[in-house]
Amino acid sequence: MGHHGAVGTRILAVEDDERIRSAVKLALEDEGWIVDVAESGEEAIEKFDRSTPDVVLIDIMLPGIDGFELCRTLRRTSDVPVVMVTARNDTHDIVAGLEAGADDYLTKPFAPKELSARIRALLRRIRPRAQGHARLVFGDLELIPDEGKVLREGAEVHLTKTEFRLLCELAESPGKVLSREALLDKVWGYDYFGDGRLVDVHIRRLRTKVESDAANPRHVVTVRGLGYRLQT
Amino acid sequence: MIEGGWFRRLLRKSRPNALGLRRRILLTITFGSIALSVFLAITTYGLTQNNLVRQAETAAVRTSLRNAQSVTQNLSSNPPTAQNAEDSLTNIGVQRFLIRYQGQWSGGVPPYVDSVLPPDMIDEVLVRGEPSKQIVRVGDELNVLVGWEVPNLGGYFQFTSLGDQVETLDSVRFNLLLASLISTGLGVLLGIFSSRRAVRPLSTAAQAASAIAGGRLDTRLETTADPDLGVLTDSFNDMAEALQQRVERDARFASDVSHELRSPLMTLSASVEVMDARRDDLPERAQSALDLLSSDVVRFQGLVEDLLEISRFDAGAIRLHMEELLAAEFVRQAVAVSAAPQLPLHVSDRSELAIIRGDKRRLARAVANLIDNSLAYGGGEPEILINVVEPDDEPLAHIQIAVVDNGPGVPPEERQLVFERFARGGGAGRRTGSEGAGLGLSLVDEHVKMHGGRVWVEDRLDGQPGARFVIELMASELDD
Repeated sequence: MGHHGAVGTRILAVEDDERIRSAVKLALEDEGWIVDVAESGEEAIEKFDRSTPDVVLIDIMLPGIDGFELCRTLRRTSDVPVVMVTARNDTHDIVAGLEAGADDYLTKPFAPKELSARIRALLRRIRPRAQGHARLVFGDLELIPDEGKVLREGAEVHLTKTEFRLLCELAESPGKVLSREALLDKVWGYDYFGDGRLVDVHIRRLRTKVESDAANPRHVVTVRGLGYRLQT
Repeated sequence: MIEGGWFRRLLRKSRPNALGLRRRILLTITFGSIALSVFLAITTYGLTQNNLVRQAETAAVRTSLRNAQSVTQNLSSNPPTAQNAEDSLTNIGVQRFLIRYQGQWSGGVPPYVDSVLPPDMIDEVLVRGEPSKQIVRVGDELNVLVGWEVPNLGGYFQFTSLGDQVETLDSVRFNLLLASLISTGLGVLLGIFSSRRAVRPLSTAAQAASAIAGGRLDTRLETTADPDLGVLTDSFNDMAEALQQRVERDARFASDVSHELRSPLMTLSASVEVMDARRDDLPERAQSALDLLSSDVVRFQGLVEDLLEISRFDAGAIRLHMEELLAAEFVRQAVAVSAAPQLPLHVSDRSELAIIRGDKRRLARAVANLIDNSLAYGGGEPEILINVVEPDDEPLAHIQIAVVDNGPGVPPEERQLVFERFARGGGAGRRTGSEGAGLGLSLVDEHVKMHGGRVWVEDRLDGQPGARFVIELMASELDD
């Protein structure tokens, strides 16, 4: 049944509950992914270095290194897409997970099909219509879509894949306001009921990287009640 | 005492009505201050009157005695005529006197003549030979009338006007009346002030109690040094503390249970999905069992989610994620992700322009729950209508989202009940469905209330059998 996931796509699933780990592995393998599992943060770090997965699935409640910490550790060296799994649907956990660097989140119990859909959305190839342009310039900010590179004052800025896609979507229509819903749809593939906090937290993180003063953004600007816009 | 009894009866009779503590304090102080000032005024007046009259009498007695002695002298010397005595009195300015000499009255100037003398006084002075004193009214004026015997010859009577005293008393009376009014007024003000003071701790307590009832369980009264209020404050705070602990324990329990249930549910749903993917490989009986299993896993998940949401309500831990939503668009999307995405939706033209503020996922849950309820109990697929409450010529302020079904309807006595937790519609065959955990409608109620709206169930407007569940929310008009 390996017709759903992209060929050879590796998922590292970090989950301490043995039964959940087994069931999720079975279900994800049915969806066509290659699944590695780890039962602790320590094991996950070790396996991550060895197998370089394409997506990491992290349960927040882990013994030892917890999910937030694991996520921050991975983010120091990698821009791999990370999906957080929380047992609690509360704002604190979700925002903390996103700020630790997660790209998306799911709450237990989720349907493995839903997880597959999320992974596919995160792995979708970046196809900005701006591809025709070799480079897009916004003041001191330079965007090179083909190479997946962003330069600020000539120096390369390191963005995660999701942050880069978010920036590309904004760059595609410079000066035009994009609503949270539109961004959720374009970047994460969510419908109307997607969580706007995904956008807000990612915009916040993006600003710390592309703005000289994240508290007073000049490029990625909030338009109250409407959404966000990119300007020079 | 009769008055007291009447007053108390009045109080008792009206206690069930609006005669609150504040009014009772006010009335007591007002009546008290009226009674006190009336008492003081009467006493003061009485004392003043006595005093003035006694002084006037003493003076009258003294001068009349002197005059009587002079009359005696005059009558005893030669020639002993009443005229001499009369003249000598008139010379020193005495007026209003009467002399009785040899059976004749003289000296009387109308109206101060012998006919106004009380007979018992004449008798006392002239027959028994004793001095006498009375207050008599002559014409409009009060007078002290003093009578002295002129030994062996007759008697001397003198009127002394009390006009000055009466005038003084009039002015005293006026002043006392004024003072009584002022002190009554002050009493009323004092009553208002002190009743407010007395009730203030109570209204603080009432505010705190309603805050607690409204879910802010950590509300406490400020501790006070006042020993009378301290008892109330302390026991109120103890009660609130106990209540908070209990509610939090219950909420934590429900929340812990739900969290614990999530892990096995995760395993269940993933495993069921794996089996479902191989459904065709299974024998027919196993397929039926698998279908039952997978549909109940979904139902179980819904239950746990509802329970968690309810425990969040109870712990006051819900934080709404408010956004401005186009009402019609929102309902379309909510229906699209519900159990019946193809339901017919009727949106009035005006409600296309309505904007609501809300947590879209929670509101969508509310709409989905109403749809689920109608699918379970409402005799097939319901119809959904969105309308503006206000007539066209008034500004848009509320919208209604109505889910109208074809079931047996909800009898009036159950219309409140269906929104309570685990209260499945009892009568009229609304129990037929296997769906409906009894949390769904109570969640609708809580969610809609958190959004400042209300939800209710009524008969269908077109008179057909069936129920009409209505969510009413505040809205505003989209400005272009």
